[in-house]
Amino acid sequence: MDVKNEVLYRVYFLLFGLVIPVAVLLVYRSITIGIVEGEEWRNRALLENVIKERTIEAERGNILAEDGSLLATSVPIFDLYFDPYAPSDEDFLANVDSLAVSMARYVDNSYTVGGYRKYLMELRDTAINRSRHVLIKRKVSYNEKRFIQQFPLFNLGQFRGGFIPEKRSERVRPFGLLARRTIGWVLDGATPIGLESSFDEELGGEPGKVMMINVDRRRDLWKPMDDLTAVEPQIGDDVVTTLNINIQDIAEEALLRGMQKHDAQWGTAIVMEVKTGAIRAIANIGRNNGSWLEDYNYGIGKSTEPGSTFKLASMMAMLEDGFVKLTDSVDIENGQTQFYDVTMDDSSPISYRLDSISAYDAFIMSSNVGMAKLVNKHYGEKTSANNKLGAEAFINRMKQFNLHLPTGIEIEGEGKPLIKEAYSTEDYWSGITLPWMAIGYETRLTPLQMLSFYNAVANNGRLMKPYLVQEIRRFGEPVEHFRPTVAKKKIAEPETISTVRKLLEGVIEEDRGTGHDLRTDRYRFAGKTGTAQVDYERGSRGTRVGGHQASFAGYFPAEDPQYSCIVVINKPRQGGIYGGDVAGPVFREIADQCFYSLMELHRPMNAGPKPVYTTATLPSGDIGRATDFHRILDQLDIQFYGDPATELGVLSAKSDSLMLYRRTILDDQVPNVVGLGLRDALYVLENRKLKVEFNGVGKVVKQSILPGTALRGQTIWLALE
Amino acid sequence: MSFKDKIHNPFWRNLDIITFCICMGLALIGWLLVYRVGGGGEEVDAGGSFLATVAGKQTMWMIVAMALFWLTMLFDAKFWETFAYGIYVAAMIGLFLVLFLGTNIRGATSWFSIGGFTFQPSEVAKFATCLAVSAFLGRFNTNMETWRSRFIAFGLIAIPIVLIVAQPDPGSALVFFSFLVVFYREGLSSTFYLVGAFLTANLIAGFVFPTLNIGMVWLGLGVLILGYNLKDKKNKNLILGSLLLILGALSYWKYQMPDQPWALYCAAGLFAGLGFYAWFKEKQGRLFRLLAMAVVVGIGVAFTANYTINNVLKPHQQTRIKLWLTPDECDPHGARYNLDQSKLAISSGGWDGKGLFKGTMTRLDYVPQQTTDFIFCTVGEEQGFVGSVSVILLYLVLLFRLTTIAERQRTTFARSYAYCVAGIFFIHFFINIGMTMGLMPIIGIPLPFISKGGSSLLGFTIMIAVLLRLDSTRKRSLGNLAG
Repeated sequence: MDVKNEVLYRVYFLLFGLVIPVAVLLVYRSITIGIVEGEEWRNRALLENVIKERTIEAERGNILAEDGSLLATSVPIFDLYFDPYAPSDEDFLANVDSLAVSMARYVDNSYTVGGYRKYLMELRDTAINRSRHVLIKRKVSYNEKRFIQQFPLFNLGQFRGGFIPEKRSERVRPFGLLARRTIGWVLDGATPIGLESSFDEELGGEPGKVMMINVDRRRDLWKPMDDLTAVEPQIGDDVVTTLNINIQDIAEEALLRGMQKHDAQWGTAIVMEVKTGAIRAIANIGRNNGSWLEDYNYGIGKSTEPGSTFKLASMMAMLEDGFVKLTDSVDIENGQTQFYDVTMDDSSPISYRLDSISAYDAFIMSSNVGMAKLVNKHYGEKTSANNKLGAEAFINRMKQFNLHLPTGIEIEGEGKPLIKEAYSTEDYWSGITLPWMAIGYETRLTPLQMLSFYNAVANNGRLMKPYLVQEIRRFGEPVEHFRPTVAKKKIAEPETISTVRKLLEGVIEEDRGTGHDLRTDRYRFAGKTGTAQVDYERGSRGTRVGGHQASFAGYFPAEDPQYSCIVVINKPRQGGIYGGDVAGPVFREIADQCFYSLMELHRPMNAGPKPVYTTATLPSGDIGRATDFHRILDQLDIQFYGDPATELGVLSAKSDSLMLYRRTILDDQVPNVVGLGLRDALYVLENRKLKVEFNGVGKVVKQSILPGTALRGQTIWLALE
Repeated sequence: MSFKDKIHNPFWRNLDIITFCICMGLALIGWLLVYRVGGGGEEVDAGGSFLATVAGKQTMWMIVAMALFWLTMLFDAKFWETFAYGIYVAAMIGLFLVLFLGTNIRGATSWFSIGGFTFQPSEVAKFATCLAVSAFLGRFNTNMETWRSRFIAFGLIAIPIVLIVAQPDPGSALVFFSFLVVFYREGLSSTFYLVGAFLTANLIAGFVFPTLNIGMVWLGLGVLILGYNLKDKKNKNLILGSLLLILGALSYWKYQMPDQPWALYCAAGLFAGLGFYAWFKEKQGRLFRLLAMAVVVGIGVAFTANYTINNVLKPHQQTRIKLWLTPDECDPHGARYNLDQSKLAISSGGWDGKGLFKGTMTRLDYVPQQTTDFIFCTVGEEQGFVGSVSVILLYLVLLFRLTTIAERQRTTFARSYAYCVAGIFFIHFFINIGMTMGLMPIIGIPLPFISKGGSSLLGFTIMIAVLLRLDSTRKRSLGNLAG
């Protein structure tokens, strides 16, 4: 090989034996790392906590009452931790004493200052503690957290001071147990219930996502990667319920009192707005180991044999078919009769003295025998009058009243109604089914379903779907509005409705009515009592009864129904068993309170003629802040004159109007404060550097220093009456 | 050169525009990456002066480098050859002084700190050594086939290596091995490179594998070579077969008892017996002696390497080497962390990257030294595979161009200088990019023109500038020679 070729060979070797292979190698590695191993590398990065995806919980929406009061809301709370190894020696030693003072004084009283200092020093001692996440205090409010954050050392921040606040949010019900089951909850480890559960999607919002990157592995510090992949959390929507805080409160109070008085097993009270079907209150109370609490949503979930309140349906069926007139008489056989081998009794003692009564009386006296015999007479056999349908005609009427369908309320767990199919062996139809159905047995309804039916009667036959949520709001703006829904335009003919409304009023108004004791002169209401036997065994020698369920369903005011309400109290153990005695008073209490406290039930205050004021009826000689008088008189719409520029004014009545005079107070003399309220007196006196001591309540009647005395910062003593 | 020449034949008429453009392009890529990684814009918004930002400093250095380039082009080409040794001596004095006067940054005293700017004399030393080596090779009486020339040539690169290792900055010292390229081109025997490769292979193997295993391999190879060369042609297959069987059995024994040297002793006995037979019965002493020397030296080097890595080197040096050779055994949260981050950044770019300024890992300071040594990650993350390969190709074109320039020089000095420069670029390119992908040990040397930093930018600029100046006057050199 000559020199020239040798050189050429060496150059080629350098280029193609060294440079090119190296370049190929690098490109190959780029491919393997970037393309082939890429997925593995990215996965490994996630696995080894280099990058992690963190979900940012969205703030949960609020549940609001009808008027916007908060029924359930989320508040941020903090768990405070301390990383004792974050601060430098210099920072730590410079602040440990003052931090110990702050901590022992404000956060943990179980320590002395010295003790806390020792504790802090120990936290930094690797022989004793290695944790970088030491709990300081749990469940701290935002304000407390801000306060503690100002402590020495902590005020240096998380990285220098080691102060680690961890935020989470807690669900709070500002009204405590009010409507607890209906509002419900969504918690880890518990079945979600109530509105919280049904509207979980709306309330929950959209959780955000952010990629977190470990910026300091040694200290496990993460910071969010602020890139395009980040998804902001979307705050949950607010759910505005139909519940009215006042009515709800009344209902719960009244129900609880009734339950306690009668030592019952469980009870429920529901108040519904007649025109819309909006549920204004739903109270549920169960007895649980001697305490009373809202342990189940009985009103919605519990379907039971309704008892006598069902007689309204029986009566309406017969009226619709034209089988009875109120004046028709029925033989109630002294309150006892036999259907096949089973005996039926009237529970009302009056019946034992009566033979034959009118259909009207049978209803208002709640005669089982009377109602059952009437129904059995018209539907018991397939006659031409009922188109050879027999009991099927009766069942068809029940279906016409929508009693066989659930209401479709928003929250889960609604009890299923049971209306047996006529002559159906599957439903265990028997010869006594029809008469017992007529008085509310062999059939199952939840209190809410029964209430809907009564509400339809109050609403002139228009059946409204009950609802609990009227609006979904996002950032205060409605995004979805739930209008009242008509479930059935007309469940019965207007004549039928007006007839049964007379019946329902009769229950209260007539002396013989089972609800007569509940009557009041202040307003008229209508309703039906119910006393059902529960856990019974029925036989030819009478019935063995395990307990009773008292109920009352009705509406008020009778002439222009605004609200319908049902009260069901299960197994009262003392103080009576009858619907009129046990459930009725609770109903009355709720109706009373509604009647008094709800504005729409009142006449507007100034609807009448303008009151005539005279010198005698107008206040005179009162003294107070002029601006206050302005506001009050404006509010009361009372004519007045004078507009003093002074702080204090004096009222003086002049025939039908008022004059507001000035009361001048000099700046260098003790003023006359007699006649002033304490607030105004303090304001005036302390502005003049006087020290005030006082005794009593009311208005100033005496002052210890005479008006006009020169001011020297004295102590003045006031007597109030 | 007359005044007229200067007017009618300005240097830029002969400037190699390809090289110039590639270098400018690389510097601009580097500036963009430094600008975005250093968050230049944000800091300006915050009210600071632009020059105070990372990007601002880099901008200033680029202007200075540009000025240096044009200044160098205005110098007479002969200057560099004439003052090559002077510059070399000055650079060596600089390297010596930095040991005493330098600032310690990241554990190495390799920086002069003057008025807020730092400056690395080893960058100058590279350039100076290029000049000195080229000047030496360009002498008429230098001949790489004589030991004297070899000794001086290796001495010229040994001095800076020793001084830089003393800093200690073994990474920068490694760069000086790039001069082996120019020695090769100028005729240093291939035997040196073969022996060097053999030693290096043993060295690296010694780091990774137990010495006993390496010994087994060499002895086995030796036995087979001896057996193959036996003169008994008739029974050759039989002999080779039985040797293989015996070696297999010994290997299995060794495998079963990895810590016991007995199998090795048997293999050594077999090798020696066969060897002495070949030497004395068949007169093949030369082959046996060569093989014996290779086996002994190989085992010796491997043992020394193994002993050194475990007993002599400091822990951080040990982990660097282990990280390179056996990354899977390293602590992913400790030593391997940087490398994993680097690979992750490159892999996160995927095919065509996340887009300029969109890389999250590098933007968030996640990859260490991402504007200097690990800047290639940023390319990988933001421009993906396409960007990485483009950068690699740019360097490849540059290296080919430098070789072409080298081969068209008329003087040995200029040619050698071009090869020196090419070698230095090559080793920077290979090690820097290789280390971000785990192919090379992680040693802190910059990626030419792209990495942030004034010293390296100016160092590479002056190297290229001098080369292009030499190249632009090559025709005149011929003229001068002819004249």
